[in-house]
Amino acid sequence: MRILIYVFLGLGMFFGLLGNLGVLRFPDIYTRLQASSKCGITSLLSILIASMLIKGITPMSGRILVITLFFLITSPVASHIIGKRAWEEGLIPWRRKKPGKKEN
Amino acid sequence: MINVFLKWKIVRVILTSLYLVVGWILFTGNLAPFSIFLGFTFSFSVALFTYNIFIEEREVARRALLPRAYLLLIYLGVLIFKIYLASFKMVLTIITGDINPRVVHFRTGLRSEVARVILANSITLTPGTLTLSLDQDHLIVHWLNAKTTHSHYAGKLIKGSFEFWLKKIWI
Amino acid sequence: MDLNPLVLDIVIFALTGISVISMVRVIIGPTTEDRLIGLNLVVAQIVGIMVVVAVKFNRSIYLDVALVYAILGFVSILAIARYTGGKEVQK
Repeated sequence: MRILIYVFLGLGMFFGLLGNLGVLRFPDIYTRLQASSKCGITSLLSILIASMLIKGITPMSGRILVITLFFLITSPVASHIIGKRAWEEGLIPWRRKKPGKKEN
Repeated sequence: MINVFLKWKIVRVILTSLYLVVGWILFTGNLAPFSIFLGFTFSFSVALFTYNIFIEEREVARRALLPRAYLLLIYLGVLIFKIYLASFKMVLTIITGDINPRVVHFRTGLRSEVARVILANSITLTPGTLTLSLDQDHLIVHWLNAKTTHSHYAGKLIKGSFEFWLKKIWI
Repeated sequence: MDLNPLVLDIVIFALTGISVISMVRVIIGPTTEDRLIGLNLVVAQIVGIMVVVAVKFNRSIYLDVALVYAILGFVSILAIARYTGGKEVQK
């Protein structure tokens, strides 16, 4: 049980760090949004699952469950709203240049 | 004689307040009678104002609001497992930096609004895809490692088994 | 479950450092959307810090704070995305 808690806490910090690296590294809004939505959700989910495992079945665990469900619903919606705003503003998605084609 | 619309309004109010009461009991974790009485009172008074936003009029039916719960729980478990898989793939992509992003459009065959929203959220949480716009049944999806831009095949590859299971849960 | 209390301290400090890193994107981001992405990450990590603090000190009042902070972060991101920017966005 204790090893499981350590694994989840470590996964949370690992994904948080890598998600930030992706946000700093990718070239475009949409790709950055991909990195932040996946890794951000996973890092918070791991930490919440670890704290639920620490507390066992108590009233505090129920509250953490409510926070988890709320976050699982709203976080994709928030990234969807940001993506929709960028799409409606007309920002052009980044595309990989083909190696044989001439650039202009 | 009771009006038909009034009957469905009462059903909507009661269903909304039941959802709120379940949230209240989970959050307080306190089964004292005074707490539960307070929860029912506030849930009912909030439901009186918000039933029209929470449940649309044409959505009210037994299958649209109370789907097969056990299948929904299994779906949630599978979804959490898939989120972890997706994050590991995302970490690999971040480290190697090998991306080929495209934007694809496709349609979905789901009827219920709640099922469509859950499909869009599931697509956002699976590897390399992000829902940009959801308009009626038309989805615009940004795809990180695009294999094809054809609408039909892209839809088949991205939706995968989600649509099949959601159809089983919500029709 | 009784853990070594040092572990939760390490988690709190690490999450604080990670949220400082994600503030970099908020500061240097060229467009408003980049800044919103950074803010979304910061909100998630602060909710994580709140929950870990509540577990460490065994005070459940921090969980209420965490839930309210999550709701406020969501609503503020929605409001910023909706009411700033060009005319064609503000329909």
